[in-house]
Formats: sequence, C-alpha cells, structure tokens
Amino acid sequence: MVRKYSTRIFRRATSGNNLLNRRLMRSLWGSKLRLIAVFGMIFVGVFSGITFSGYSSNLGPMYESLYEDTDSGSNLADIWIDNKTQVWTPDQLSIFCSSLESNWNNNLPAVDGCEGRIIQQGVLFHKDQNNERIVTSLIHGIHPEADIDRNWFPSGYTEGAPAVTENEIVIDAHVTEALSLELGDLVRVGVGNGSHEFLVVGKAYHPLHVFLAPEGSIFPPEDGDYAVGYVSDLGMARLTGNIVGSSNTIMIDIDGIPEYDLPTTDRYEGEVMDEMKELIESSMLEAGVDGRIRDRGQNEQVELMRQDLESSQRFATPFTILIQSIAAITIALSLQRLVQSQSREIAILRTLGVPRTSIMQGYLIAPVVIGAPSCLIGALASPYGVDAMLDFYESIVGLPIIDRDVSFETYSSILGVTMGIVIVSGVVPAWRATRIDPLEILSGRTDIRVGSRFLQSITGWMPARLGLSIRSSLRKPTRLGMTLIAVGISLMLAGSIQMMTVALKDSVLGGLSDDQTWDKQAFIVPGGENDIIQWADQVGAEYESIIEISSGALLDDSGSERAFSAIALANYTQGSSMRSVEITDGEPPSPKQQPIEVMMDEGSLRMLGWDLGEPYYVKIGATEIEVLISGTTGGEFSRTMYFTHPDLSEISGLNATSLYLQLPDGVSENERLAEMSAGILDREDLVDGVEDLLNQQTQFLNAVMGLGVLFTLAVMFNTMVMNIAERDFELATLRVLGASRFSLGGMLLAESLIIGLIGGFIGVCFAFAGAVGLAASFSTWQFYFPVTLVPEVAYQLIGIVLAISVAMVPIGIFRITRMDLVAKVKDLSH
Amino acid sequence: MIIDISSLERHYETPAGVVKALDGVNLQIEQGERVILLGPSGSGKTTLLNCLSALDSPTKGNYRFKGKQVPRSDSEKMTSFRRENIGYVFQFFNLLQDLTILENIVLIQELSGKKDPQRAQELLALVGLYEERNRFPGEISGGQQQRVAIARSLAKRPALLLGDELTGNLDTLTSSKVMEILVQACDQENITAVFVTHDESLVKYATRIIRIDSGRIISNEIVKTSG
Repeated sequence: MVRKYSTRIFRRATSGNNLLNRRLMRSLWGSKLRLIAVFGMIFVGVFSGITFSGYSSNLGPMYESLYEDTDSGSNLADIWIDNKTQVWTPDQLSIFCSSLESNWNNNLPAVDGCEGRIIQQGVLFHKDQNNERIVTSLIHGIHPEADIDRNWFPSGYTEGAPAVTENEIVIDAHVTEALSLELGDLVRVGVGNGSHEFLVVGKAYHPLHVFLAPEGSIFPPEDGDYAVGYVSDLGMARLTGNIVGSSNTIMIDIDGIPEYDLPTTDRYEGEVMDEMKELIESSMLEAGVDGRIRDRGQNEQVELMRQDLESSQRFATPFTILIQSIAAITIALSLQRLVQSQSREIAILRTLGVPRTSIMQGYLIAPVVIGAPSCLIGALASPYGVDAMLDFYESIVGLPIIDRDVSFETYSSILGVTMGIVIVSGVVPAWRATRIDPLEILSGRTDIRVGSRFLQSITGWMPARLGLSIRSSLRKPTRLGMTLIAVGISLMLAGSIQMMTVALKDSVLGGLSDDQTWDKQAFIVPGGENDIIQWADQVGAEYESIIEISSGALLDDSGSERAFSAIALANYTQGSSMRSVEITDGEPPSPKQQPIEVMMDEGSLRMLGWDLGEPYYVKIGATEIEVLISGTTGGEFSRTMYFTHPDLSEISGLNATSLYLQLPDGVSENERLAEMSAGILDREDLVDGVEDLLNQQTQFLNAVMGLGVLFTLAVMFNTMVMNIAERDFELATLRVLGASRFSLGGMLLAESLIIGLIGGFIGVCFAFAGAVGLAASFSTWQFYFPVTLVPEVAYQLIGIVLAISVAMVPIGIFRITRMDLVAKVKDLSH
Repeated sequence: MIIDISSLERHYETPAGVVKALDGVNLQIEQGERVILLGPSGSGKTTLLNCLSALDSPTKGNYRFKGKQVPRSDSEKMTSFRRENIGYVFQFFNLLQDLTILENIVLIQELSGKKDPQRAQELLALVGLYEERNRFPGEISGGQQQRVAIARSLAKRPALLLGDELTGNLDTLTSSKVMEILVQACDQENITAVFVTHDESLVKYATRIIRIDSGRIISNEIVKTSG
C-alpha cells in the first residue's frame, strides 16, 4: 500500500519534472558554444586521464617482465660492486663470493647469485657503405651461463642468442637498425688494447641499458652514435688481454627483491640493504676488492627508469584532476549563469507552487547529461591515446612494450572521479536555484544594486568609459576569481612545462655548449694517456688531461650514502680549461690545502644543506677525505665535486681518466686514436643527442601546452561570453543612447585587456609555482635543475591570455551588432 | 519643421500573417513642441517612437529630420543619427549601476564626443539632484533615478527627446514632479519632445496630443502653443 502510494507520488513528480527538465535542457541548448566548451573539456579530461593512467599501468609490467628472474627475463642484480680503475682476478672473485656466502646472516634474504664480469668502455668500428664509423661503445663480457644481468630477448623484437665463443657479439637492439647491423655481420671492437673482429650473433636488450645513455648521462646520443655490445667472457679476455674470468664489476642477486632506499622518498628504506652492504664490505676486504657498492636505488640506469615509471604513475591522477577542475569551474560558472538568467522563470515556477526539489533536480541532472556523453566518448577514444603514448615511450626509450591493456579499474576510477567532479560542480548552482526568492525577483528588487564605493574611489578620476570597464570587469569577484583560478590551472599545465623545459635546456645544454672548446673526449685505460698525447702532438691538437671518477660517496643528513662524480680539470679560471665551469659563488679551489679545497654544484649543496666555506667528509673510492667547499658551481644537473688536478690525482693515484682534445681544422679522430682509447665522446654528437631528445620531449610537452592554451581559451571564452550576455541591457541602453559600435568595442577591449592582464599575471604565478613543484618532484639526487622565472616565458604566457581575451572582443562586437534594439527597448521600457 | 513624416508604414511578417504596426502615418512636428502619443496597447505608438528614433526602419514612406532623410537599414548610421539628435528616457530608467549619477551623465557625453562635466552638473542642478551627484543609482529613489535619466538624455543637447512610458514606473506625485522638470528642461533648451504614454493625466504637459489606433493617427490636436 505504502509502496503503491509512493510510486504514484514519484510518477506525478517526475511527469511534472520531465517538463521542467526539458525546459532546462532547451535553455542549455540555447548556449551551445559554452556547452561545447564544457563538453570538450570533460572529454579531454577523461581522454587524457585514461591515456596517462593506461600508459603508466602498462609500463610497470614491462619492467617487471624485463627484470624478472625467469627464463624469459634478464634477472636484474640487486647489488653491484664496481671499480673501473681496477681489474679483479678470478681468484679474488671466488674468494669474495665464498666469503660472502659464509659470512651471510641467515636472518637476511639469501644470496641467490654472485657473479663477476668486465664492463669496459670502448669503440666499435662499423663499416657502413664503405665508410668506417667509429662508435663510442660500452662492452660487457658476459659468461654464456651467467644468471644475473643477462641479455633480454623478447620474442618478435629481438633475434639470435647470447655470445658464447671468443669472437661472438650481441649488439644492443636499440642501435642495430641505426647501424644497419644484421646477424652474421662482422664488427670490430676495441677497448684501448687494439681491436678484434666479432661476429654478430644476436640483437638483444639489457636491463642496465633500457635507456641507451652513456654512464653518467641521462641523455642518449643520436641513434648510432653510441652502442652497447655484449661479448662472452672469452671475448672480453681477448679484447682486454686479461685472463678469462677477470672482472671489474660484481653482481649480487638476492632472493626476492630486498628493500632499498628510494631516493625519491623522505623515509629511509635501506636498513636491511645497509646490513647486507656491511657484510659485502667485509668480504671485499677479505678478497682485496676495492670498489663502490650500489643497490638499485644508487644505480642511475635502473633508478632513472624507476623514477620515470613512478612519475608517470604519480602524475596521471593529479593531471586528470587538474583538467577536471577546470571543467568543473566552467560547468559551475555556466550553470550559475543559467540560474541567474532563468531567475525570473524560476521565480514564476516557485510562485505557481513548483517545489524546490523539482527545480533542484533539473540543475543536478544537467551536469550529468553533459558529463555522461563526454565521458563515454572520452573513454572510447582513450585506447588510441594509450597506444600513442606507449608508441611515444617506445620511440624515446627504444624498448618494446609488448602487452598493452587498459584495465577496467583505470576506466572506472577516471570515469568515477570525472563524474564525481561534474556532479559536484552542479550542486551549488542547483542549491542557489532553489534559494531564489520569488517576491524579490518579480518585484525587480534584485536588479537594484549599489556599485562598489571602493572601486569608484580608485577609478573615479578616470574617464567614465574606462571606469565603467574596470568596474564591470570586477563586478562579480567570485566569478572573476573562479575564472582566474581556472585560467591559472590551465596555464599551470601550459606554462609550468614551458618554464621547466627552458630550465632543463639551460641546465643540460648550458653545461655542454657554453664556453666549451673541446671537440672530443678520449677515455683512457689507466696510464694510457701518453699514447694519446703523442697522437695529439702529431696532428697538432690541443689537449687537456682530466680526472673524472664516478665513485665519490658521501653521507647525507639522514645517513644515506649518496654518490657523486669527482672531477679535476686543469684550472677553473675563465678560459683556462677546455671545459668552462660556471662558478656562481665563492672561489675556485687552491691545491694542496688542508682540508682539501673543492667546489660543488648548487644542487648538491642545496639538497645536502651544506654551506660554502664549511668542511665535510667524503669518500673517493675507499679513501675518506675532508674537503672544504670553496665555491659553488651552476649549470650542472648531476652531482659533481670539482677538485684541483694535483689533489684528485694524489687521492686517486691517477693522472688522467680521459683527455679533452681540441682538433685543428680538417683533423678528426682516426682509427689509431680509437684503438688507443677506451671510448671517444664527440661534444657535437652529445649536444645533438640532447637536443634531439629534448625536441622529442618537446613535441609531447607542446601537446600538453596546447591543451593548456586550449583550456585557457575555453575558460576565457566562457567568461567573456557570459560577461557580454549579462551586460546585454547595459550595452543596449548605451546603444539606444547613441553609443557607436566603435566606442562599445573600445570598452569591451579595455575590459578584455584588464581581465587578460590579471589572468596573465595569475597564470604566470600558477605556472611558476607549477614549474617549481614539477622541478622539485623531478629533482632527485641524480638529477637536479633549478627553475627561475624566465621573463620571456612570463611575457609569452601573459601574451597568450591577453591575445585570447582580446580575441573575444569581436564576438562581443558581433553580438552588439546583432542586437535587436527594438526588442531590447521593449524590454527596457516595459 | 523638425520632423516631417509622410505615408510611413511599418509592417512585420509573422507566422499569423503581416502585422501593420504603422499603416500610412503622416506627421509634422515643429521645433520646441511637446507631443504626447496616446493609444491602446498594440496601436503602434511605440513603433512610431522607434521609427522616430531610428531604432527601427520603416517598411515604406518618408521620414525627414530637420529636412534631411533619416538613415534606415544601416545600424551604424542609425546609431550615429541617434547620437547626434536623440535623447531617450526609458520607463525603467536604465542607469548604469556601477557608475555614480554624475558619471552616468558624463559617460553619455564621452560616448558622443561632447564631454562637458560642467553641463552634467548643471543638468543635475536643473533636475534638483546636484547634491546627490556622487551617489550610485541604487542609493536613490525611483523618481530621482528618472530625473537622472532625464538629465542624462539632455546631456548631449539633443534636438529631439523621446520617452516611452517614462512615468509608468512612478507614483502620481513623482510622475508630476518628473514631468514638470522635463517640461522646464525642454523649454529651457528649446528641445522637441515626443512621449508615449497610457496615462491621460500627462496630457496637460503636452502642446499637442496625437491619438493612434491600428497603426493610424486618428486624432492630432494642438492643445497649446509651444515655448
């Protein structure tokens, strides 16, 4: 009985409401342009949200299948010990591994494997259409039965098998196409000890070279300018002249994946790992092995990819929420305007006895009606977006993403968040619709309002036209505020990325381009610099010996060990070295001081909280030293400590690890230099590679920027159209009183300029805050760059908002031109 | 003669057929006359006022103002005509709420390129609102607002002042006061005025009364000489 009654009530209510809702939908349809803008924003929000989430959720499994300890995986090591200036004998390795096994604490996860190999810089001589190219390379000597850090052969993307004999080589699949290498081809390889021919037997990937960048860099050179080769242990012995089984790198595999400290978190997760490292250190002492110990968090190649994956996952949700908030603000403002424009109708309905709930219902349904189809289309289009993003990732990283799938959870979470935001955005206008007082509206009392005395006092001295423009712009502070927030968020998307890109380019390219006079960097095997110096003298090249050691270590405040590179140049005064260092504060170090004077990059000092002029303890290899920070350097994105040449030479026992070469015109590196050196870097190639990567990234960033600009356009358009629509009576009055299109256009232009300037300024603030936030979230110990407010970018952003707001003026003028003055006068007079 | 209209027609196409809002109107008005147009709803008096102000273009017929053809169908030329010749007073005043009373008047002067704050203040004195010049429209009464609207309409020294039910929103006492001020201002400035109204009590302020019905002038009576 009760149920029957309630059904009847519901039917009666909904049949009445249907008409009310239909009336509302017709009114909404009347503002098609705004409707399209809102529709578009929700669509883009859903599309990009699912695209980003789908993209990041597909990357995780890709890394898992690459790293996993299965027949098809590569079994990424958990701990590496390396020292590029030493070679450990097979006996030392054996002693170390046995000692580790016997010393191991049974409370810790078990050691699953302990293997050694030589990883050596070198060159690959590659004959391409009768020209022989010398390609800087990294060569791994991997035992055919190796269990740790193996090659990865995903089917369909790679071919061949691991190198077994002394003359076989596997070439990293990133470069085989660029070098036109096929199975069965012959290549010549050298690691500073002559060169040998190898038969290409495989094209494969490697877990330490997911991103094909040379050690110490996060930027891969241009395709074909850098290669990684995987020979067998026999092949490496042949190349280096060392006995088979020698190593300069030891990999340790632990059962499962032991927890290690993540550089991107404040929490210290490395307690268990520290315990393991202590045991490893004591075994190293026993075996006479000296080198740095790194876990996955300290291995740049691995950590870089983990951070990339983490940032992809981290940014998907906020990115979607940002876009959806812009859509929400636009929907709320549009509905608010709709309520306002329909206040008389609502008042009449209320006078006629239509209940509040019936009126509210329509305004709550409206966002759902707009949101649902936009969400549906966005969801249907998003798999293409996911594919495009994964293709883009493949093109940047060069690794295949085989299994592609967008999960139901991804769809449901993004669609749920979006519809939630959309529905919430309709609540306030809906509530306001029900609060309308019929008596007040119908008596016209709401039309009377008192202007702002404050605005009058500050604009009273201006011409009345300008005063009116300013007061009209600021008449609705809440709406203007909401609009400016939406513009701010839109420009946060566009501008922060632009500001960050400029900062990134300055940091990365500045270090390679500004005041750098070296052409080539020839790496040498210990003690091998004399041959290269001789070669340089013969060809008339300038040279400079430098020491570059990547095994610097220090302890930060939390007790975590942080790695850095120790570098010694000939001198640090302007023009005295082929590599100019930008000293932003303090003085260059003086040699033979106690404590040892050094300069450090600003990123390190900021992250460590270290101060200029203060002494600190650091380790170079196994040697602990006290250093005094004499100066700060800028333009470095990696952590670097600069020593004087005599100091670092004394600490490391090395006179040089590489030579910078400045070649005379017409001279380039030749085979002899390549055979003498353990790899050659070409500065131009490096710059080209970085530019290439940044350009590739820029294409993607441009798309995000374009999205931001598009949103700014939609938000500004929405607001300006509402402003003009709301001022119909005002403009009609002025028009009837004889105001020309030109004068009214001038007023609209002034208003647009005011809103544009305020919007642009707020946009710059949002963009800068966004850029600082983004840079802070990207900046890690391995990778740091400061963001400064670049005036050109700020002007550009203000220009964009100004241009968009000024572009709305013709719409206003068009509206004025089309105004039916006879009808308006009727409204004005009756 | 300031207004010379002959055989003026204004027809509207509607789904129900052609509506003849004006159907062959002939009218001549001399400088300084105060004309009141009376007639029932839908008689065509507002249409005539719209044609006089060049808000609307006649379908047929002639309309000469000060001996010159009044532009039609070109909205900018029509606006220009209004700017140079017409003052307009609305029923609901339509003052801009964000501007003070004085600024409302100065704005119209600025838009017509005749900025003269001194005259704006004199006009406010004329309508008895000089003391209120820095207040906002929302802070004064309806009658006062209409007096500001009159001052505004006179601000650029129009040759012709038009009003559509300009006292329709005011009580009787206020209406009388507004009309007296209007008459005083028109006399002082020698301005021709045409007002549309339903209110027969306003005829005492007119020099001529024209009655319209079904788009035609049915009576045209001079009640007193102007000036």
